[in-house]
Amino acid sequence: ERGGNNSFTHEALTLKYKLDNQFELVFVVGFQKILTLTYVDKLIDDVHKEFRDKYRNEFQQKGTLGLLNGTFDFKDDFMRLLRDAEESSKVRAPTVMKTFEQSLKSQKTVKCMIETRGEKPKEKVKNKKNKGSKKEGIEAVAAPGKALAGDKQPSTAGEKEELTKDEILQKNREEFFKRHMKAGEKSRSPKPEAQKEKGKKPRVWDLGNSNAKVLDYSNSATNGSAEACPVEEFDPDIALGDRNREPGRLYDLEYESDDEAEEEKVIQNPSKPSTKKGGLGGMFGMLKGLVGSKSLTREDMDPVLEKMKDHLIAKNVAAEIAVQLCESVAKKLEGKVMGTFTTVTSTVKQALQEALVQILQPQRRVDVLRDVMDAQRHRRPYVVTFCGVNGVGKSTNLAKISFWLIENGFSVLIAACDTFRAGAVEQLRTHTRRLNALHPPESHGGRTMVQLYEKGYGKDAAGIAMEAISYARNQGFDVVLVDTAGRMQDNAPLMTALAKLIAVNAPDLVLFVGEALVGNEAVDQLVKFNKALADHSMAQTPRLIDGIVLTKFDTIDDKVGAAISMTYITSKPIVFVGTGQTYCDLRSLNAKAVVAALMKA
Amino acid sequence: VIWRFVQGRRSSRKAVLLLGLCDAGKTLLFARLLTGRYRDTQTSITDSSAVYRARNDKGANVTLIDLPGHESLRLQFLERFKAAARAIVFVVDSVAFQREVKDVAEFLYQVLVDSTVLKNAPALLIACNKQDVTMAKSAKLIQQQLEKELNTLRVTRSAAPTSLDGSATGGPAQLGKKGKDFDFSQLPMKVEFVECSARGSKGEEGDADFEGLEKWLAKIA
Repeated sequence: ERGGNNSFTHEALTLKYKLDNQFELVFVVGFQKILTLTYVDKLIDDVHKEFRDKYRNEFQQKGTLGLLNGTFDFKDDFMRLLRDAEESSKVRAPTVMKTFEQSLKSQKTVKCMIETRGEKPKEKVKNKKNKGSKKEGIEAVAAPGKALAGDKQPSTAGEKEELTKDEILQKNREEFFKRHMKAGEKSRSPKPEAQKEKGKKPRVWDLGNSNAKVLDYSNSATNGSAEACPVEEFDPDIALGDRNREPGRLYDLEYESDDEAEEEKVIQNPSKPSTKKGGLGGMFGMLKGLVGSKSLTREDMDPVLEKMKDHLIAKNVAAEIAVQLCESVAKKLEGKVMGTFTTVTSTVKQALQEALVQILQPQRRVDVLRDVMDAQRHRRPYVVTFCGVNGVGKSTNLAKISFWLIENGFSVLIAACDTFRAGAVEQLRTHTRRLNALHPPESHGGRTMVQLYEKGYGKDAAGIAMEAISYARNQGFDVVLVDTAGRMQDNAPLMTALAKLIAVNAPDLVLFVGEALVGNEAVDQLVKFNKALADHSMAQTPRLIDGIVLTKFDTIDDKVGAAISMTYITSKPIVFVGTGQTYCDLRSLNAKAVVAALMKA
Repeated sequence: VIWRFVQGRRSSRKAVLLLGLCDAGKTLLFARLLTGRYRDTQTSITDSSAVYRARNDKGANVTLIDLPGHESLRLQFLERFKAAARAIVFVVDSVAFQREVKDVAEFLYQVLVDSTVLKNAPALLIACNKQDVTMAKSAKLIQQQLEKELNTLRVTRSAAPTSLDGSATGGPAQLGKKGKDFDFSQLPMKVEFVECSARGSKGEEGDADFEGLEKWLAKIA
C-alpha cells in the first residue's frame, strides 16, 4: 500500500523498484546507500523496456507455464545496459553546463537575427562562427552526449556558407522551446515591454540597412569585415542590449505569445483544456471502455483520484496520508489493462478499497489473550502500558480492558503511574472497587481479581511501574496494566520521562491510545511518540508502539478516517476500539466494515 | 440450460489452493508439480495459476493456484479464491514449525472458520514440507501440536471483543465440539496429513518426493 514511494533503505543498501502492471513484473535495483548513482533511474527504465520487449511473447501467450518453463537469459543484456548507463552518467556532468551557455548565447544571436529578415542567414553564420571560434577551446572536452550540444557543433563547424531559411527557422524553433523550458518568467517579462518596442521599430531597420552594405562584399571580405561588424553588433547589443532585444522580441512574441498564451491558459485554467480534451475523448473513451480493453494511464486516473482524495479527507483521513494513498494506488494501476465493461472509476475504487483493507489488516497476530496465556505459563506477569496525549480516554479504556480480562479469568494489577493529574489515583481506585464488586473473589476461587498499586502523587512514574511489576510477580498476578499521565507530544521532558518508563520496564505491549475524533494531529502525535521512544532508549532495538487503541468511536458516525491515518503511520494494528463509557463498550476492529463506511458516499 | 448451470457450478470449484506461511515452499511445490524441474523462487507477491493433469485413470484436470503467504497479502488473495476452491493444500514448513506454530495455527484457524470454507467443506491436505532436512518434524507431531494450538485458539478467539458492527469474530463458527478437545476429525471436511519434500532428497537435480501429495491430488480430482 505504500507503493507511492519507490525506494527503500535497509542498513547500507538502498533499493529502487519499478512496477510493470501490464505484465505484473517488478524490477528492483539494489546499490550501496553511500554511492549517489544518478543513472539508476535510467538504468531501471532501460532494463524494463528491454526485458519486456524481449520476452513479450512468452508473457502473453504462455502465461504461468511460460514463466516456469522459459529460460530468461538476460544476464548479457543487463551487463551491457549497465555499462551504457555508467558511461552516460560520467559524460553528463560537464555537458550540462555547456548547454546552458549555449542557450544563452544562442538567444542573443536569434534576437539579432530576427531584426533583419533579408540578411538573417549571413549574420547568423558570422555570429555563430565567432561564437564557435571562442568556444572551440572550451569545447575540447565536449562529448556527443546531449542533443543540443551536438546540434550546435555541426552547425558551427560544418557551415561557413549561408544557411537556408528553413534550417534557421527550425533552429529558431528549437531555441524557442529551449527558452520555454528554461525560463517561464522570462517569456512573461517581455510582454509589458512589448508596448514600448513598437516605437523602436524604425531604428531596427537602420541597423539592418547598415548590415546590408557590409555584406555586399565577397566571402573573404566578409570574413575580414565580419570581425568589425560583429563588434559593432555587439556594442549595440550590449549597450542597447535590452532595447535591441525587444524589437526582436516582438517577432518572438508572435511565436511566444501563442505558446505563452497556451501556457497561460494551461496554467491558469488547468481544468479547461483537459475538460475540452476530456469532452471529446470522453465520448470515445466511454465507447472504448465498453467494448475493448484499454490500459490505464495517469491522465485517465487523475480526476478520479482527485475526487477520491477529497472524499477521504472529508472522512477525516489526514491530508498527507490521503495524498500518499492515492499516489500508491496510481502507481499500482498505471499501465494495467482493464477488462471489458469496467470503468476507470470502478477500477480505481476497487484498488483503493483493497489498499485500505490491507492497511487495516494486522500484519502480525492480534491476540492478547494468547500472549497472556503464554506469559502465564512462564510465571511472569504480562505488562501492558498505555500512553497517549491528554484526555483521550486512557484510564477509562484501561478499566474496560481489565474488565474484559477478568471476564476471561485473568487477575489484573493496575499500576497507577499517573502521579500528576488530580484525582487519577482516586479514579482508578473507584474502578477497582466496582470491578471487584462485579466479580467478587468468591466466584474466582478466593482471590481478588483486581488490585490497585499506587504510591500517591508526585512520585517518579518509572519507579512505581517497576515496583508494581515485581509485586505482581511475587503475588502471582497475570496481567499488569500501567496507566501513565497524558502528555503532549511536543513536551520534551515529559516524553523523555515516558521513554524512560518504557525502556526501563520493558513492557510486553505498548499501547498508544488515540481518539477517533483526531484529524491530521494523529500523524504528528504518533510520529513524535515513536521518535521519542526510539531516541531515548539505550537498547539496540528500541521498544516502539506495538498497538493502537482507538477510543470514542461512538462519537463519529462514519468519519472513520483516523483509523487509517494511525495504522498507516505506524503499520501497527488497532488492538481495541472503545465505543462508549461503560465496561462493555470494548470492540475489536472489523476492517471490512470500517472500509465500507469509509468508501460510502 | 439446466445442464449448463450444473456444469457451471461444478466447474466453478475446480481449483486447488496452495496456502501456507511465507517460505513454506508453496511456489516450489507448484513449479515441481507442473514442470518437474527445480526453480529458484522469490517471495510471491501475487497469485499464479495453471492447469494440472492429475495422474489418475480419468486424467482429470484441476487448476492449481499458488497464493502468496505474506501476512499482508494472504487474506486478500484467500478472499478472492476461496469460493472456487475444491481442495486446499496447506503447506507447513516442518523445520521451522516449532518456532512458527502459533502463526501456522492462526492462519489455519482463519482458513477454517471462514464461512465460505465451512459451507463448501473442501478437502484439506496438510503437507509437511521440507522433509529432506534432518531436523524436520514428522507429520504426526505436527498434527498433535496443531490440534493443541487450535484448541487454545478456539477459546481465545471466541473470547475476543466482538467486532464493530456486531458480528462476532469466532462466535458462530465454532470449530469442533465444545466440550471436548479439538481434533481434526471434528471438522466437516476431510483432513489428511502427508509428508513431502519439494526439493527432493537428491537436491536440485533430482525429483521431488511427493508421491503422497500426487496420490491425494489424483484422488480428489
